[in-house]
Amino acid sequence: MSPFQLPESDLSRARDEAATCIGVDELGPNLHLLTLEAATASRAALPGEFAQLQVEPGPLLRRPFSFCDLDPGRGTVSFYLRVYGEGTRRLAHLTPGSTVRLLGPLGRGFSLPETRASSLLVAGGVGAAPFPHLATQLLARGERVHWLNGAAGSDQLFPLRRMPGGLAGSVQVTDDGSSGRRGLVTDALPELLGGVDRVYACGPNPMLQAVSEMAARLRPEALVEVSIEAPMGCGFGTCLGCSIPLRFRGAPVPGLCCRQGPVLGADQVDWEALRRQPAHLE
Amino acid sequence: MVIGRGLTLESPVGAASGTFGYGFEAERMGNLAGLGAIFTKGTTIEPRPGNAPPRIAEVPAGMLNSIGLQNPGVEVVATEYAPRWRGWAAKVIVNVAGSTIEDYVRVCRRLDRVPEVAGIELNISCPNIAHGLDLGVDPRAAAACTRAVRAVTEKAVIVKLTPNVTDIAEIGRAVQDGGADAVSAVNTYLGMKWSRARGKPVLPGTGTAGLSGPAIKPLAMAAVARLVAALTIPVIGIGGIASTDDARDFLELGARAIQIGTANFYLPGLAASCAAELRQDGGAA
Repeated sequence: MSPFQLPESDLSRARDEAATCIGVDELGPNLHLLTLEAATASRAALPGEFAQLQVEPGPLLRRPFSFCDLDPGRGTVSFYLRVYGEGTRRLAHLTPGSTVRLLGPLGRGFSLPETRASSLLVAGGVGAAPFPHLATQLLARGERVHWLNGAAGSDQLFPLRRMPGGLAGSVQVTDDGSSGRRGLVTDALPELLGGVDRVYACGPNPMLQAVSEMAARLRPEALVEVSIEAPMGCGFGTCLGCSIPLRFRGAPVPGLCCRQGPVLGADQVDWEALRRQPAHLE
Repeated sequence: MVIGRGLTLESPVGAASGTFGYGFEAERMGNLAGLGAIFTKGTTIEPRPGNAPPRIAEVPAGMLNSIGLQNPGVEVVATEYAPRWRGWAAKVIVNVAGSTIEDYVRVCRRLDRVPEVAGIELNISCPNIAHGLDLGVDPRAAAACTRAVRAVTEKAVIVKLTPNVTDIAEIGRAVQDGGADAVSAVNTYLGMKWSRARGKPVLPGTGTAGLSGPAIKPLAMAAVARLVAALTIPVIGIGGIASTDDARDFLELGARAIQIGTANFYLPGLAASCAAELRQDGGAA
């Protein structure tokens, strides 16, 4: 067994920098957009990559967050986060001027198409996090970008106004029908898959499995990439906490969410085994 | 500092087993500079996939881990990893784990033929794998394992001790008599975190796991103090070191060297900066 046959993240770009809080916008109940001044990361992070944030005083281990949006001109980065425990609570209550250690960029992000393509971005809840940056990059390359955004209720939908302009289409769904259509993202997915070359998805692991299976069935020619969750300790491959079940040439192989992921091809994930795993550090 | 049997470290600062992989992540991130030693992930005769998740949990001032000795096996380490250590200033000391004394002997016999391996750290105290023989808590078994390994390698042998015993000095004396060149202490403390929501421990299996991090530093210092008083061979101090001052505490207590462990996960540059600051102290090491 050679342990890692799948490509790994490039750790040589990761830097541990002192980031300064610019502000925190409350976007919904327990949902916040944290903006930090972090000049190095703002120029380096690719869509789907993440940072490990540490706030003091706070939990011992850092917490991983996908880069939501970047402004290299101003040297800022933003993170969309849901308050889940002590670490996220402290991040959501940061005051402007306070500092946070930011280690990143880490992980493997989304692959960008080599040729002109039509992409569908599928978000579930706080899983919208990596898509403003991804959409910006895709649009800058002249791609057609469709946006499918789902959440439990209207107040938990990532606001459309936070996405870049120029989207080819946007559909919103909520579990309770309080905004957009009533239902799950998979209810709206079939009609949006026509003509799509790429599907990018981020949300709860069961949603990602459902999207992957539906896309494989209805649009087998599309490339499907998912950003998955696992309880993460270090973020760069040494603690071995974020073990995830992967497949390589059809055979099961162990992987680490922080090195082979968090973005993986849908066919690289052993979905049935992943279902049995927790998504968050406890 | 001299550890023994030809093993001399350029700095007293090492990275603890299980917190630094085989050094390659730190190499890519530029965090190897100035380190005296890297103690690798626990390495066994056969590859091991490790335990099913969840494997880690957070507790106040520390963490629990139950990784289960995930490693690629000694052959991959000897043939694929070791050549990549050539030219590193830090000495690479391979942490060796197993279920029986024969396992340890086989791994060490293989490593003895690998020039890039500067020494061996015997992990006779991993709390996270189930086996009948717990070498680290029985002085006779600990001595027998040390003696058996001593017979098959010319490399320095450091024995890593578990703190989950009544008298750690007794185990220390036993492995010293068995031919250990040094001891490192401590491995993780046995711990547990309870999930009231699920009515069972957070981590699977028995629910017990290894506790590490700043929470254990006072406990580790007490254990190291007893070993320093009881032994003539060097003691390498480990346990909750999260700053250069923490490292100085262990060195002033009498540890010959120290290992930074859990802090490598959240302060990946700490080991290198600690080595640089201790170098500036001069003499303190």
